[in-house]
Amino acid sequence: MKNILEVEGLSKDFIPPLSFGELIKLDLKRGMPARALRDVSFSLEPGKILGVLGPNGAGKTTLLKIIATLILPDKGSVSINGYRLGNDDEKIKSIVGLVCPQERSFYWRLTGRQNLEFFAAMHGLTNVQARLKELFDIFRINYQDKRFDRLSSGMKQKFALIRGLLHDPRLLLLDEPTKSLDYTAALDLRGFIKENMAKKGKTVVFATHNMDEALDFCDLFMILNQGKLRAFGTLEELRGQTGRPGAALGEIFVRLSKT
Amino acid sequence: MLKQALAFLKKDFLVESSYKFAFISRAFGVLAGVLAYFFIDKLFGQRMVPHLEEFGISYFSYVLLGMAFFSYIGVGMGSFSIRIRAEQMQGTLEAVLLSPAKVSTILFSLAVWNLLFAALDTALYIGLGVFLFKINFAGINILSTLVIFILSVISFSSLGILSASFIMVFKQGNPLGWIINTLEGLIGGVYFPVTVMPGWLQFLAGFLPITYAVRAIELAVYRGYSLWQLKTEYAFLMVFSIVLLPLSLSAFKYALRKARLQGSLIQY
Repeated sequence: MKNILEVEGLSKDFIPPLSFGELIKLDLKRGMPARALRDVSFSLEPGKILGVLGPNGAGKTTLLKIIATLILPDKGSVSINGYRLGNDDEKIKSIVGLVCPQERSFYWRLTGRQNLEFFAAMHGLTNVQARLKELFDIFRINYQDKRFDRLSSGMKQKFALIRGLLHDPRLLLLDEPTKSLDYTAALDLRGFIKENMAKKGKTVVFATHNMDEALDFCDLFMILNQGKLRAFGTLEELRGQTGRPGAALGEIFVRLSKT
Repeated sequence: MLKQALAFLKKDFLVESSYKFAFISRAFGVLAGVLAYFFIDKLFGQRMVPHLEEFGISYFSYVLLGMAFFSYIGVGMGSFSIRIRAEQMQGTLEAVLLSPAKVSTILFSLAVWNLLFAALDTALYIGLGVFLFKINFAGINILSTLVIFILSVISFSSLGILSASFIMVFKQGNPLGWIINTLEGLIGGVYFPVTVMPGWLQFLAGFLPITYAVRAIELAVYRGYSLWQLKTEYAFLMVFSIVLLPLSLSAFKYALRKARLQGSLIQY
């Protein structure tokens, strides 16, 4: 089966940017580059759910943002459904959805619905109200016409999820999507992903710190630490790679996070 | 492009209208500015007469049109960087850039509300001039005015996009924004004819598109000058437009690439 996502030799360092003031004063001293990703390669077939695991600062968010075209890598290549990052970014954006936990990524003085209508228009979508109704029902949204700044964190997170799903992406990137969600809402999300995405051949990359959640619905796991890919595969394959048959996912994670 | 521009227009209207007094305070700002120059004209207008012979109008008529024009091309075009900055500060820039729209579409859409609002300011200036201060615009050469206006919009949009490129990379400390909003207004002939200034400042003003644009628009509106009579100004604005527009779009694409390399789209 043709891979939906192919990542090859991906590396990224973050160099603290110079301000214009520093530039004109020729104060060119910069801090040490922060290593975010180092030579990461993997591929993913359609319909799979990949759990991206790693301690804080492992490079999970950077990886997701590179795939979503928001960050350019220093080295390596990313191909999504045959489209090359850097060459076909507009096509990539039309088939990729990204959900980040930042509440600030919405217009707080608009309602949730007005925000989603805006982002739907930016995607050039038609039949927006029908799509919104479908997603509001799935995520049990009751406050779609309340101003965004008056919503709870969990409700804001639900709107972020809906925004990522508006254009029915073939590849959905989720960065800690259940962080602010209550138990029921997290279950709804996982159920939706299994039933409406994976079973329909859509692919999901899911960055999380929650091992139980990852174990519950991911087909594959990736463990990142200090920007390096430490392990990739099914739970059985991870056990094989670490030489610990029968080990729990959390145990493997802890072992690989320390190396 | 139209769909995205309309989406931005609707969104910005909803955001702006959620601030109840924004429209009113802006209208009062225009009125206060006009009144200030009306009384300055009463006090010092006679001293300006030698500098205004070419235009054949009073100082107040000159400055009213200058402000009306600059409120659109100066403030309006400066809005490219203002809007980029606002999206950075709100944290919405990444979300906007995740849409599959072209960079040029997003850039134009970002500024469309401010451009429309600046047009309302311009209309208010002109309306005050006609109805309250009985300024006579009957001698206008519409073709010249239109051509000069369009070329000015292109030149200043380009400067605005260059300014937005700085903001995209450096976030703050934008020298082009200062040039557009302050220096151009100060020495470009918006508030007084450039001949009032010392020679070296007049020389400096010769490098700014606003100098040619204001002079041309004043002559086209009040003296009815044809395009042929305004050929020098027309030629300069044409050169500014041809050089600056592709340059600014390339600069913005480069700045966006730089911000993506830095991973700084979300920073402010």
